[in-house]
Amino acid sequence: MAESQTLRTGPPEIGGVRGPILQVDGVSMNFGAVTALSDVSMNLVAGEITGLVGDNGAGKSTLVKLISGVLRPTAGQIRFGGVPVAFASPSAAREAGIETVFQDLALAPNMPVWANIFTGRELTRGPRVLQILDRPAMIAQTREMLGRYDMNVPPIEATVERLSGGQRQIIAIARAAAWGSRFIIMDEPTAALGVAETRAVEKVIRGLREAGHSILIISHNLDQVFRLTDAIWVLRRGKMVGHVRTGSTTPDAVVAMITGADRLRHEAGHGPD
Amino acid sequence: MALTDRPDLALLPWLKRNGVFVALATVFVVMALAAPQFATVENLRNLLQQNAVIGVIACGMTFAIIIGGFDLSVGSTAAMASVVMAIVYNATGSIALGLVAALLSGIAAGLVNGGLIAGLRINPFVATLGTMTIIRGLVFVATNATPIFGVPFSFTQLGLGRSFGVPNLVIIFVLVAAVLGFVLHQTRFGHHVYTAGGNARAAAIMGLRTARLRFWCYMIVSICAAIAGIMLVGQTASGQPQAAMGYELTAIAAVIVGGAALGGGRGGMLGTVAGVFLLGVVSNALNLLGVSPFWQPVATGLILVVAVGLDRTQSDAS
Repeated sequence: MAESQTLRTGPPEIGGVRGPILQVDGVSMNFGAVTALSDVSMNLVAGEITGLVGDNGAGKSTLVKLISGVLRPTAGQIRFGGVPVAFASPSAAREAGIETVFQDLALAPNMPVWANIFTGRELTRGPRVLQILDRPAMIAQTREMLGRYDMNVPPIEATVERLSGGQRQIIAIARAAAWGSRFIIMDEPTAALGVAETRAVEKVIRGLREAGHSILIISHNLDQVFRLTDAIWVLRRGKMVGHVRTGSTTPDAVVAMITGADRLRHEAGHGPD
Repeated sequence: MALTDRPDLALLPWLKRNGVFVALATVFVVMALAAPQFATVENLRNLLQQNAVIGVIACGMTFAIIIGGFDLSVGSTAAMASVVMAIVYNATGSIALGLVAALLSGIAAGLVNGGLIAGLRINPFVATLGTMTIIRGLVFVATNATPIFGVPFSFTQLGLGRSFGVPNLVIIFVLVAAVLGFVLHQTRFGHHVYTAGGNARAAAIMGLRTARLRFWCYMIVSICAAIAGIMLVGQTASGQPQAAMGYELTAIAAVIVGGAALGGGRGGMLGTVAGVFLLGVVSNALNLLGVSPFWQPVATGLILVVAVGLDRTQSDAS
């Protein structure tokens, strides 16, 4: 992995201490008469990979949309880096340092890798009014950045449509990590990938943690959640029903929380943090 | 799938990317050998001159196609600009005011097309089919479908004259192609047009203002159509309400033959210029070989189908 010297361009440390990066306090979300989330609270530790799991319809996507600025909560508060936030749009969340890797990746297939990394943030040269693209600078920076995260990617000047699914996922993740984002949300980052590509993407995700990024992963793949995460939060039917440290639990216990089969035992075993 | 591992070495994608240049060079060489009149200064000068007007329109059309649409109203807009120029000249006696009015009429067409497509999100086919017929109709109403004469014959210096041996229309075409080629390939705007044409949703997620990009693409097409209309006045010293009919399809064909994808995201200014000349050289060749002019649309159609067929085979391979 990259050495600490090369990490300077990574995300800023927050007070040097591993405090909370994101706090969700008593958030509820109603769509008309339907309650999608009810009094949900969650604390994510800076510099960690946190897993968010739950059955279909448990409210995972709704919670992610609230954090990434797509939706605004009916009640409750979200704090990012200790500061209360109410993002008006995903762009506002992005500007604050929250990047989302979308399930369909949001890449332009006809554009080269470097252009996708720089979409909307292109470097220019010469007189400002002409807005002339600085291709060499963008290509060089892309190469440097992908190297920093130890990403073994294809030619930077190849178009994305020529890449495999895993390579595309890595490009999407790299773009999320590229812009000094402190916090990256990944929605099913390996859902469509084979075994080898899944491992490659997981390696990149671990690399991001080592570089100091905080990450929230939504995944159906419990094996993966246990391979990657430091902590796991469990949603069931719009309520946060569990919070465990990954190292001190078992997949069976998490499955029990997801399905609600073993609720009492979990609550006895884990007091408030 | 194995082919795509080393796509740069595969013949078919290479041929697709450069097919229009290969085809243009091939037809050129064959014709130079087959018809002694072909490779003469006079013939080549004529060939360039005859394709300059459609070339200017095709340069603008390239933007609309790369962002995933097209503009059927360019022929009507060109005719409108020529008529507006003649009417305003007759009313004011000023060539300069006539030119400004012609350009403004193009800008008005761009506002409507861009507003309908980017603002109201109307399908480009429907929107520009509508403006194509509306504009042509308005031009007929304004002129009673008869040409507007009165522009001084000296203005044909623009359409028929030469500078340094090069037809003035060709100089205009080269300038338009150079400026728009720079905008498309070297600037942030052009880069964003490609991105939005490749995946409009991704572009929007990443903060690009796709509606604004689309609007400006249609504005560029309409301004090019107005310039083409001025060039037509330069050829005839009159405003012709019937002018430029069918130019929209020839221009679209040239852009597609030049390597653009009708779905957006692909194409280029050099390809468009080569596409214009490929269609032009083939019809010139048929002329020189004594083939009936009725065969020319057949040839144009065949070239278009071959170009799109080649494109299809590449899409299937990847």
